Amino acid sequence: MIEWALIIGFIAAGIRTSAPLMLASLGETIVERGGILNLGIEGAMLIGAFTGFMGAFLTGNLWIGLLMAILGGILTVLVFGILVVRINLDQVVSGLAINLLAAGLCLYFFRLAFSQGAFPYLSELIGPYPIPLLSQIPVIGDVLFNQTIFVYVGIIAVPITYYLIFKTSYGLKLRSVGEDPLVAAYLGIDVSRIRYTALILEGILVGMAGGLLCLSMFNVFDTRIVAARGFVAVSIVILGRWNPVGALAGSLLFGFTEALSLWIGTFLIGPASASISQLLSLLPYLVTLIALLIGGRRVRGPAALGSPFSKE
Amino acid sequence: MELKLPLSLSKGTIRSLYKAGISIGFALLLTSILFLLTGANPFLAFYYIFAGAFGNISLAAETLVRTTPILLVSLGLAISFRCKVWNIGAEGQLYMGAMLGTITAVALGNTPLTLIISLFVSIVGGLLWASVPAFMRARLGINEVITTFLMNYVSIYLIQWLLAFPFRSPDTLFPESAQIPSSAVLPVLVPYTRLHLGVVIALFVALPLVHFLMMRTTFGYKLKAVGENPEAAKYGGINVGRTMLLALIISGALAGLAGFVEVSGIQFRMRPSLSPGYGYTGIVVALLGQNNPLGVALASIFLAAIFNGSTTMSRALNQPQGVVDFIQGVLVIFVLASEYILRYLEKKGVVKI
Repeated sequence: MIEWALIIGFIAAGIRTSAPLMLASLGETIVERGGILNLGIEGAMLIGAFTGFMGAFLTGNLWIGLLMAILGGILTVLVFGILVVRINLDQVVSGLAINLLAAGLCLYFFRLAFSQGAFPYLSELIGPYPIPLLSQIPVIGDVLFNQTIFVYVGIIAVPITYYLIFKTSYGLKLRSVGEDPLVAAYLGIDVSRIRYTALILEGILVGMAGGLLCLSMFNVFDTRIVAARGFVAVSIVILGRWNPVGALAGSLLFGFTEALSLWIGTFLIGPASASISQLLSLLPYLVTLIALLIGGRRVRGPAALGSPFSKE
Repeated sequence: MELKLPLSLSKGTIRSLYKAGISIGFALLLTSILFLLTGANPFLAFYYIFAGAFGNISLAAETLVRTTPILLVSLGLAISFRCKVWNIGAEGQLYMGAMLGTITAVALGNTPLTLIISLFVSIVGGLLWASVPAFMRARLGINEVITTFLMNYVSIYLIQWLLAFPFRSPDTLFPESAQIPSSAVLPVLVPYTRLHLGVVIALFVALPLVHFLMMRTTFGYKLKAVGENPEAAKYGGINVGRTMLLALIISGALAGLAGFVEVSGIQFRMRPSLSPGYGYTGIVVALLGQNNPLGVALASIFLAAIFNGSTTMSRALNQPQGVVDFIQGVLVIFVLASEYILRYLEKKGVVKI
């Protein structure tokens, strides 16, 4: 029989691994509502992870690392913004370009900073911050209130994003820009400004999502650290129907899948255990693909999603 | 004074050449600044890159060896990108082709047909792997960028597992396949180099075939029509979904072939480290070559040269490895922006076409 403590531990781990997906998919939900498909999110997360790691490593302060991660995220997303908002390039190709640029820059500068064979790591991580009193509640306290700040920010960001998109005048403008930018422009909405604002918000969230990988999950940096989490986040936005609540649900689903693939591995015994636990690494990707196959058919997103817009 | 080119080129070609020139020029300029900042002389650095790529016969042969998989992958991607199907899963398709080709070669052993059959299986492997996202795109409308990328991870983890367990070589300590039989090896063309028959397959079989397919067939015309305006193509009676599906699976087939050619010509075993990102380099190459097969061929050689030359340069000037990744990254941004830059230059009267 599996003990309760193990199950509680697993649920807490599932929520913990969901955090980067929550932050990234909420950010992507905002920009996609404004008609921008940002596939450069993978690269923005990578830059966030890199600047976060470097900031923390060089100053020895994890919070400065987090700040650098957010700045890195904003900067990357703004470069993408210049390509798609300022000079109206194809959004898909620009996103791919950002990913390749990010991979190239991180690989090069990481090697520039550390000589071959050096293995830099952070001596501590941003750990859980138990919320006073609430974390004392049995079960729920351990699962929900003994988490890292990233989980708290991710969960609190859900109602905030929802409110922003559906209940504010900015949200109304954002959605109209995402449905038909030309009409929005005729109505006097500054399309570029709305989109840049959305991109900056995404940059903050995605920078955090990338940064937390280095600052809270792994204490090392590797150019493969993001491991398609950005693309999983884009899938979650589709599956969550461009709604923050849907994004939360999707993030939990994939966070739990990732946690599950690691968790099962620890229970296996016998000669085949190493084999099976290695094969389980592909589970999160396979589940995302299957989920898209079931829930991603001909869904209708914001009407202007992905199409370039110029006033001429 | 007006410069007259000796060849008569169409305006479109001249624009493409300008755009490629602008992209490369800006990328190299930025790289020079990087070299200056890191204390290396840019002229010396580019000299070492060039010398490392073409300095003598064996180095030039190595550059062609490197060109082979890049060219095969990027020719396929050019087809797919021509109709605006963004296959970014070439890396995974390459691995699946290589894996299935290797399994076939090892299983068949030494027979006169081992090489041909294994090459064929690798093509089918890449094709089948690409057919999943192709089907999801064409029939269900699911964004192929996401699915092809996610499938890269599925294939790489799957292959790591296959090589660690069911197909692990019995004679080495590493997670890699058994050695392929000698009859599955692509013969070396130039003695004392690694230049193998694969380069002929890429340059003199795949390149003309893709060129013919894109420029001289109705399928090539359909690709272009769908890429430029899918709505108009549909009204014109073109089956848009089918065209996209075919484009994606053909690019997968070529990536799969690239994978087994690499095993059969260079590695002789399937390894998890088979490709240093050829699937992604192919994207840069296809974009830089502007989806034109000849442009793609030149761009492949260019990137292969930087790939190899930068290793020499890094050693000579004590620079970190990975300059090629930096160049690739900035190159792709300038390829994108080159149309904008060119239009700006035209407006300022600097360039007249």
